[in-house]
Amino acid sequence: MAFAQRFRQGMKAAIPVWVAFVPSSIAWGIAAQSHQLTLEEVFLMSAWVYSGPAQFAVLGPLTEGKSALQVLAAGTLMNLRFLPMSTALAPFFKGVKRLPLLLSSHVISASSFIVPYLQFQKERESEALTAGDESTRGYDNLAFFLGVGVTAFTVWVAGTMLGFSVALGFPPGFEEALKFILPGYFAGLLVVEMKGWMMPLICAVSLIAAIPGASASPGWGWLVVSCVVAFVGWGLEEWNLRAARSS
Amino acid sequence: MELTRGEIILILGLTALAFRIVPQIYFAGQKFPEPWDRLLRYVSYALLCGIISTTLFMKGASLESDSAPYRAAALIATMVVARWTRSALSGLILGTILVSVSSWLR
Repeated sequence: MAFAQRFRQGMKAAIPVWVAFVPSSIAWGIAAQSHQLTLEEVFLMSAWVYSGPAQFAVLGPLTEGKSALQVLAAGTLMNLRFLPMSTALAPFFKGVKRLPLLLSSHVISASSFIVPYLQFQKERESEALTAGDESTRGYDNLAFFLGVGVTAFTVWVAGTMLGFSVALGFPPGFEEALKFILPGYFAGLLVVEMKGWMMPLICAVSLIAAIPGASASPGWGWLVVSCVVAFVGWGLEEWNLRAARSS
Repeated sequence: MELTRGEIILILGLTALAFRIVPQIYFAGQKFPEPWDRLLRYVSYALLCGIISTTLFMKGASLESDSAPYRAAALIATMVVARWTRSALSGLILGTILVSVSSWLR
């Protein structure tokens, strides 16, 4: 499939992400303005760090004069989630040259991970049935990923600048809907692709356990809890599989 | 050594970029052994569920207990419809309508 066609396919899949990014990016822009960040700092944060949760998490400590180490530790822990997400995407970019791959990886976020990842998995399964060649798919996959990632990134950066420049308010009564769109879309995507029993179990436990985790530490408590849930679930499944093989 | 806000943002961006780039340098195009592939999948999905939960139900360190039951009901409806229709968008539309209506009625 042509690069442009595949890019457009990614763009189409990213539309709900754009809709969700508009209010949250504007909200961050407004918050950054109220915390007296400069326009340059807002742009740098959105375009260079490009991580909604980390941006919100460090805004207070950054502007309240907390130590650099404290701010960096909070932000870095929040950004750790990119490590497994980027690792999980990596096998789908077979044959792609290093430079485009490294440049593209800047737009990896939770949204630009989950939308392409589920799409690639679906395609890999259907190709396995039709004996397709995975090695030719690297650039195809990259185009789809960029369709999601670059457009979502653009919306995010533009939204924060807009929020910073104009203290925009949405009509009252729509905040709930705007707040719901991104998590609702993530949940919908996950549930469509669920298989077996371990994945739904891990998702359900993580969904619930993240709440006390975030109560204990809003910055990274939920992150640690989610990772622990995944490791425990995986460990139990491995143990079961090994026991079944040996018996 | 004291760092300026700009320098802190630059370092923060560098760490974010490192977490994004390093796996692409070492693992692009490689196929992981099946157990590792599964572990990565589980960690990523668990993190996404953590994001869903904290975005929807939390404000800082506190649970938004007034709206949490309505949002949870809308989330469940979203998942049921998405699964049933095999379309995340259909579920999302219903969930968004439900959460809006519940907020207008309260």
